[in-house]
Amino acid sequence: MTASSVQLRLDSIRKSFPGKGGSVPVLDGLSFDIFERDFVSIIGPSGCGKTTVFNVIAGLLEPDSGTMTFRGEVVSGLQGRVGYMMQKDLLFPWRTVLQNVMLGLEMKGVDRAQALDTAREYLSTFGLSGFENAYPKMLSGGMRQRTALIRTLIMDPDILLLDEPFSALDYQTRLYLEGVLLDAVETFHKTVVLVTHDIDEAVALSKRVVVLGNRPTTVKSVHEIGLDARSPIGARSDPRFSDYFQTLCGELEIQTRQRAA
Amino acid sequence: MATQTLKSSPTLKPATATATRPARATSARSRPGPGSLARAADTTLGRAVIQLLAVAAFFLAWEVAVRAGWLTEFLVGAPSGIGRVFLASLLDGSLPVDTWYTVIEAIIGFLIGTLLGSVAGLGLWYSAFVARLVEPFIVAINSVPKIALAPIVILWFGTGFVSKVALAVSLTALVALIAAYQAARDADPDLQALLASMGASKNRIFKSVIVPSTLPAIIGMFRINIGFALVGAVVGEFISSQRGLGHLIYAASSLYDLNTVWVGLFVLMFVGFLLYHVIDFAERRILPWRQVTTAGQVQV
Repeated sequence: MTASSVQLRLDSIRKSFPGKGGSVPVLDGLSFDIFERDFVSIIGPSGCGKTTVFNVIAGLLEPDSGTMTFRGEVVSGLQGRVGYMMQKDLLFPWRTVLQNVMLGLEMKGVDRAQALDTAREYLSTFGLSGFENAYPKMLSGGMRQRTALIRTLIMDPDILLLDEPFSALDYQTRLYLEGVLLDAVETFHKTVVLVTHDIDEAVALSKRVVVLGNRPTTVKSVHEIGLDARSPIGARSDPRFSDYFQTLCGELEIQTRQRAA
Repeated sequence: MATQTLKSSPTLKPATATATRPARATSARSRPGPGSLARAADTTLGRAVIQLLAVAAFFLAWEVAVRAGWLTEFLVGAPSGIGRVFLASLLDGSLPVDTWYTVIEAIIGFLIGTLLGSVAGLGLWYSAFVARLVEPFIVAINSVPKIALAPIVILWFGTGFVSKVALAVSLTALVALIAAYQAARDADPDLQALLASMGASKNRIFKSVIVPSTLPAIIGMFRINIGFALVGAVVGEFISSQRGLGHLIYAASSLYDLNTVWVGLFVLMFVGFLLYHVIDFAERRILPWRQVTTAGQVQV
């Protein structure tokens, strides 16, 4: 990879939060690169600050020090450039499926008639035609998360930021949506940053996995995942899958022992 | 795609549904046994018949008790007397006028108080600093029983229409303010973060998240406030007025005219009941997303 293909570079990001006994450092000089059309998973022991990394990239939290460079330009955050998806579907309960999907376009000030057309087109691509006027409450968990994914993609963000988006779903729905995500990323040429605690999911979906250490967090290691299969089931049946899986498990386990000691 | 369909209805697999989930409404309804009468009568018409019968029985027992001499009409009134007073005051036009006064005072007071309070309460969302600053004052003012303000309000605003409205406003404004502010604080921070990540301004977040997510709480508060507004109007009329249901009740009770007192009370009850349902209707129109069917839920 040449330097020019780096899309987003995080350089010595530090962030601490005020706690009872003074400030608690969470991110302690975090640095890693995300390439164009990359699929990076960030894993780490629980409470290590994965979501803080996520919020810093999204521009919802300002780091205490360190720089973020987006396509060679120093930025403070990626508001308006990222699509954001969490474990909670974050659909607006008072908006119909169609209105939820149109949310991002409204924010961008897209013409309403054009936004409607685009939204209907996306809904039909993702098999949600006929549910335009349903409220989120009436949908299954998988359909809600699919709607959230459409809402994220329709804004045409440079980077998709996903924070354990499928962890509340049952395994079948999850496999299905992982497939939908991979297809969509392929079709729309997106970069994805996936924060997850699920090593299995990280290996199956990612091109690279960034392993974070215990708090205060730095990058412990970065692993290239060389699975060719571009489907979540195909990846899981690759013989090398379990090697990657065990390597990553090993890294996290050692940290757990250290913490207990 | 099979996992993506709408929540399965209980009728989808009747055989397994009865076997594994006997509590489901469909299977329970077909089963005879204790409680089947209650189930049969549990329709809009059935309930209305039972409710009307209960009211009729109550008035009948009252009338019988007065005629038999178990109760003194002088102290409790009698349904026949109440009916007579009601018809007479209806026909001479005094009852509609009194009702009109009270209802208009309450509605205007409700609108002003609720609007001012809701706007101020939502506005406090904009600045946590200002909110923290004014909180003790709001708590202090709210801890005063607002009815105790009635004499001052009459002094300031006179004995007419305005003082009743002012009293209704004083009773409703703080309730609205506290309810709106609380609801705004409880608005989902993740939805706000989502919009912020899209580059939305604070005004935009207010409009797209705060206002719609506080609406259910605010409309819920309307129900409480419509009652408070009536209290304000009636108490104002008690203290000093020429018109209104409060005046009617107060004047009649000082003359021991219990039947007229009851007429005033029943009309007030009816007005409150009606206004409550107006709000109910408005709620269903304003919050269609809250009205989603509960057909698939287990009946407990």
